[in-house]
Amino acid sequence: MLLLPSLFVFKGGYLQEVTGYVYLFLIQGYVAWFLFFKSGQPFFGYSVTMAIGAYATIVLTEMFQWPLFASIFIGAVLATVIAVLMFLSTSRARGFYVSMASFLLAILFPKLIEALQPITGGRSGLYFGGLTALVGYKTLYLLVIFLTAAIVAFFLWIMGTKTGRILTLISENDRLTQTVGLNTRKYKILAYSIAGFISGFGGALYVNYTGFISSVDIEVFTTLYIFFIPLIGGSKVFYGPVLGALFVILIPELLVPVERYLRIFFGLIFILVIVLLPEGLAPNIQKLLRKMNPKRA
Amino acid sequence: MILNGIITGLIMGGILSLPVLGVAVIYGITGIPNFAIGVIGVFGGFLTWYFLSFNMGIAILVGVVFCFAIGYIIQRILLTPISERGGDSTLFFIITVSLGFVFEGLMRAIFPRPSISLALPRIGTINIAGVTVEGFKIFALLFALGTLVIIRLLEEHTEIGKSWQATSQNLKLAKLIGIKTNRVFSIASGIGCALACVGAIFWGSLYNLNLMTGWDLGFLGFIIAVVGGIGNIWGGIISALIMGMVMSFSGYLLGGMWQSVILYFIVILVLIVAPKGILGSERSL
Amino acid sequence: MSEPILEVSGLTACYGMISALKGIGFYVNDNEIVGIVGPNGAGKTTLLESIAGSMHIKEGQINFLGHQIERWPVLKRRQLGLMLVPQEGNIFPLMSVKKNLEVSVILSNRAKKEELIDRVYKLFPVLWEKRRQIANTLSGGQQKMLAVGIGIASNAKIMLIDEPSIGLAPKLVTKLFETLKKIKEDTGKTIVLSEQNIKVLNIADRLFGLEAGEIRFDEKTENLSRDVVKDLYLGSIS
Repeated sequence: MLLLPSLFVFKGGYLQEVTGYVYLFLIQGYVAWFLFFKSGQPFFGYSVTMAIGAYATIVLTEMFQWPLFASIFIGAVLATVIAVLMFLSTSRARGFYVSMASFLLAILFPKLIEALQPITGGRSGLYFGGLTALVGYKTLYLLVIFLTAAIVAFFLWIMGTKTGRILTLISENDRLTQTVGLNTRKYKILAYSIAGFISGFGGALYVNYTGFISSVDIEVFTTLYIFFIPLIGGSKVFYGPVLGALFVILIPELLVPVERYLRIFFGLIFILVIVLLPEGLAPNIQKLLRKMNPKRA
Repeated sequence: MILNGIITGLIMGGILSLPVLGVAVIYGITGIPNFAIGVIGVFGGFLTWYFLSFNMGIAILVGVVFCFAIGYIIQRILLTPISERGGDSTLFFIITVSLGFVFEGLMRAIFPRPSISLALPRIGTINIAGVTVEGFKIFALLFALGTLVIIRLLEEHTEIGKSWQATSQNLKLAKLIGIKTNRVFSIASGIGCALACVGAIFWGSLYNLNLMTGWDLGFLGFIIAVVGGIGNIWGGIISALIMGMVMSFSGYLLGGMWQSVILYFIVILVLIVAPKGILGSERSL
Repeated sequence: MSEPILEVSGLTACYGMISALKGIGFYVNDNEIVGIVGPNGAGKTTLLESIAGSMHIKEGQINFLGHQIERWPVLKRRQLGLMLVPQEGNIFPLMSVKKNLEVSVILSNRAKKEELIDRVYKLFPVLWEKRRQIANTLSGGQQKMLAVGIGIASNAKIMLIDEPSIGLAPKLVTKLFETLKKIKEDTGKTIVLSEQNIKVLNIADRLFGLEAGEIRFDEKTENLSRDVVKDLYLGSIS
């Protein structure tokens, strides 16, 4: 939390644009942090919920002439519905198949956007004035920072409540939590709803800020990208995703001259991070953090 | 048109059964779901395309051998060590998908074109009940089925095959009686990737290969193999053929854009509707 | 007979924080049957698995045929002549009996292979009768025989067998033990078996008593009275 206002200082054009992206992906990163790492739900459809929020906002305002805020809200609701549906329909399967089904959805979705080209613009994308036209770029930038901080605060708050502790319990031992007599299904649906809504809202915010979205922006790589924000930064600590988002967004900016090698680089980084944490994803990450912290701070 | 669709479907399904078999070999023996094999196979297809003007035979050999080597190496230095430390499926899912991105990135970086089509000889035409089919397609189908039979025979009647079976059924005992299980894993992974490469070469000569084809082959291959039953090769072939029919007819009726949407939709549906059937399949070949 | 072929000293192994073996030291001579007795949780399985290499040890030395093998992988120990028949998961469940044995002779040369498989069939005629049957459709006793048969087929210098009598009817236990003795006498092999069954006294040359990860006694069988062993270390008595 304390880290966030310090970045208000950057108000120059380029730095502002880049940090804006950091915040927008930070929202998605915290969604992944909350749903995958803190609640233990093997969901990989972050790019889908984000895209639904984004596309619904554009399509509803531009094609159906809805008011902007109603469109954003409905977009977030739609993302919620998809996330919950994904959970409900796969709840009989084992975790691994849930990951796969949601990941396949992340592959399917850009294809669907391309197939629906007349509405969505497919690969050539859609332009969108939205909030930028309404309040101006600088105000929007501050709004993004403010909203990101609010969302992060919300996630921290919820993990501190009873609901949050039950979700932690579910992530640690699902069956035990059930035998204790808690209705884990109810809490999982709640987790998916929160994650879906915020991810959808974040997607809407994203498209308002960037003013453009195409099927290329929401390729399946994006979902992995989002997933690795908390993983790289450290999922045990609340500021982990912040480090992760800085890393994931700033490194490509530094690597612009060799952009064609970006995927190779990220694929290798992802694998290395996992291999350095032999006991799984969450444990030992603090040790890694201590190693990586001085380099990045 | 219906007959034409059926024949196309059979051929698509037959070619698809190669990566399916690749997945079945890898998952059946090592127990590791490898989603990168499709991308690696397509990478091999791109390599073959690159050397095709030089000499066809050598070009195919380069692709297939390269894929075998990559499969062998990633198993040896990455996947086996992680599985010895006790990695679960979700972890392997993330790792192999990341690996897929590395190879997709390599394809982007190395090859001049993102979408290719391999020009292999067509071997004349054959007339089946009024429909003209290229001899090459028939060859592709027969080759795919032949490979399945050969792998099955190898497994039943050779020492290597028996040690594969032993490794997949009881890893600990296989180690105790002196099977080099790590080598079995690496070879299985190599063969799986090589099969995916052969599949990709056929696919690329009949249709085309692009950066996404590898993901399609890998994920479809995995789902088909699992639905058909990892332990049941014929089940795998039948579901591959059915999938081929679905692809063929959805292509005819809806056009290319929708074809893959429909395909993934069906695959997700299968995962949702039949998780019990999927979970019930034996982990052995 | 006098020279130890397997010597273990200061062997320590842990499961997380709990130590299962606390500085075990013992030896095994050539061509003898050694029984490791003790109650459940004494560390018998851990000890055998540590020697075979499928359990990671913390400290200690294992000397086998003049080699320090405690850091060797399973395969290398197997090639040198060590074989463990585990208590559970000791057959290949979906292969026929015949294939189970065929795959177990993998390290032997071609001529030796058939001889070894024949030896198993001779010792356990029922396996010959059921050679085409899939292993997991055999009865519990037959599966046990197959497991020991796999051990014999491996032709290892030392065969470590983890609780062979568990789940067997008393009659079958006697028969199995007699077979083990016969193997020792006919082939000059060395057998180390962990046991809770008192009948082990009839075949073992020496017994080690193991309790809570420590050696309690190490005696020639003829010096041990049946009751002492029974009272102190044997759980189930049949």
